Amino acid sequence: MKKLYMSYERKKGLYGYGFIALWFVGALMFFIIPLLQSFYYSFHDVAPEVGAPAIKDLIDNSTGKVNIFLNYKNAFMTDPNFRQYLVASLKDMALDLPVIVVFSLFVAIVINQNFRGRTFARAVFFLPVIIATGPVYAIITGDLETSGNNEAAQFSTMFEADMVDQLLEFVGIYGFSATFTDMLTEITSDILNLVWKCGIQIIIFLSALQGIPTSAREAAGIEGATSWEFFWKITLPYISPMILVNIVYTIIDAFTDPTNQVMERLLSVQTEWKYGLSAAMAWSYFGIILVVLGIIFAIINKLVWYDD
Amino acid sequence: MAMSGIKDVISDFIDKNKPQKKPKLEKLSRMEKRERYKKRMECLTPEEQAYLRRKQFVEAMWPIFRGLIVFGLCFIIIYPLLYMITAAFRTRADMNDPTIMWIPRHFTTSNIKDVVKAMEFGKTLGNTLKLNIVCSVLQVLTCAVTGYGFARYNFKGKNILFFIVIMMIIVPPQIILIPLYMFFRYFNPLGIYYMIKGDYYSLIDKAAAMYLPALTANGLRAGLFIYLFRQSFRGLPKELEDAAALDGCSPLTTFARVMIPNAGSTFLTVFLLSVVWYWNDYYVSTSFFMNYKTLALTLKNLSANIKVLLFGDANAQVNTREIIVWMEAACLISITPILVLYILLQKNFTEGIARSGLTGM
Repeated sequence: MKKLYMSYERKKGLYGYGFIALWFVGALMFFIIPLLQSFYYSFHDVAPEVGAPAIKDLIDNSTGKVNIFLNYKNAFMTDPNFRQYLVASLKDMALDLPVIVVFSLFVAIVINQNFRGRTFARAVFFLPVIIATGPVYAIITGDLETSGNNEAAQFSTMFEADMVDQLLEFVGIYGFSATFTDMLTEITSDILNLVWKCGIQIIIFLSALQGIPTSAREAAGIEGATSWEFFWKITLPYISPMILVNIVYTIIDAFTDPTNQVMERLLSVQTEWKYGLSAAMAWSYFGIILVVLGIIFAIINKLVWYDD
Repeated sequence: MAMSGIKDVISDFIDKNKPQKKPKLEKLSRMEKRERYKKRMECLTPEEQAYLRRKQFVEAMWPIFRGLIVFGLCFIIIYPLLYMITAAFRTRADMNDPTIMWIPRHFTTSNIKDVVKAMEFGKTLGNTLKLNIVCSVLQVLTCAVTGYGFARYNFKGKNILFFIVIMMIIVPPQIILIPLYMFFRYFNPLGIYYMIKGDYYSLIDKAAAMYLPALTANGLRAGLFIYLFRQSFRGLPKELEDAAALDGCSPLTTFARVMIPNAGSTFLTVFLLSVVWYWNDYYVSTSFFMNYKTLALTLKNLSANIKVLLFGDANAQVNTREIIVWMEAACLISITPILVLYILLQKNFTEGIARSGLTGM
């Protein structure tokens, strides 16, 4: 008789399965099986057919033998754009990532302070999240460019490369580095894109800033810390876990963005019904991003300070 | 007797604890103030003096600097929207006039009317609203249940299962889109439908292709929502649950009557984000919908076929600059509903995310 009664904890565990059962069924149907299928597709020659796609072995035309990696080979060697787009999107990400993180941290600190019109400013800074994920953003930036009202001419004249060069020359540095000024130009002339990409990151930092305990703030005030010292010694350690979160979020957001060149190439391969090739492209792209994510996570995670 | 004694004690107590009037500060002239300041500074060491001066300077300058930055950045964000509004209400001839930047010379609402007709705005909006609200409500409920299961229960394999949730956040939808398309195109749950009808059921162009994933907590960005719910439910004290169990609540009742009311802000946040993302989605829906029109899809395809829709001719002689007028009008009417929603709920939106437990890593 005794065995019929389960312990409270075990019973609770069973309820846990009950709570996630619906999700698990869905994940199986809409996530895990499709994921495995697409992995399988990437090693085969797939043609659309009624019911289920026709799957054949990949045969290398030059040797006449079966080569299961042919799709991957084609993606990197034969496809005219894939490799180039891949490098370009990784480069963009490397450029944007630090700028986005630093910029959103700065904005979050500014709008976390008390000033008149703060509610309005917060509402405006979060506005891009509402609009930028949709097709509207692409249209309005495109239109601004066509009509000659694009952001580069309007806002960042002050930071244009000439200015940077002149500043460096003024300080006494001549011909510092062409790539450096190019990089600066690329970042500053794109300030509209930058501001529009930061919505979620700003909110994440904002909530992190509000999580800094008042006791730390008071202690620093009594010790006479300036706001500069306060930032480096109190703010930064406390929000460092969120910096990691933001970095990961920014990377994922950038590479799952449908306006990304690689993603557009993927979509166009899909519309040509080359399922195997597109699966191979998607998986190699995903693999590369996973490696990048892993490396960055491992490095940053060591620098993060956890308040335990 | 005893009563009056207590009264005395109470009145004594009140007298003692009366808020004391602040001694009035004597008004000082500017000269006197400066004198005092000088005297105070003399008592301090040079380092302390420098520190105070620097602090004063920063405190005076920072608000000006901050005001400039906030104003400038806000302007950058609002700029395209302002441009959208002015461009939507001007005639196409105004686009070619270089002297017109902000204020249209010929005010017109005909662009809006044209675009409303071309996009079949009423029908498209109806579709979008229906799809959006059904999916978002389903998704919020199912993600909340799942997140709750992950947050408050311990069971075997929980870590592996949660790893799947994380994978749902990281894996781009593009990878699984083709198998998903095949799944919906030849819909055949457990092989039953094919057995009975001898054919497949196509869910393409049917809203069910979006409803089904949302119903099972696998809709757009469901992984992120499950994660958000888990974080927020994890932060609630365990005593709540135990007290409810002692009072005879079943786990489901506990969830519905104790936990949900305590996670209100997370629910609102997830619902709003879900509405926004479903509203803006065209990447996933473009592979499931051919003739089923949503606003984002129509807008995405608009630049390709706007000439056909407006003039019935793909080769119509219209300047690319002039097309902008209609494109901006289309953008304006497409984002207005969600913009209104945002303006109404913006406070909850920003504060909700800040409080939704994102930071409780």
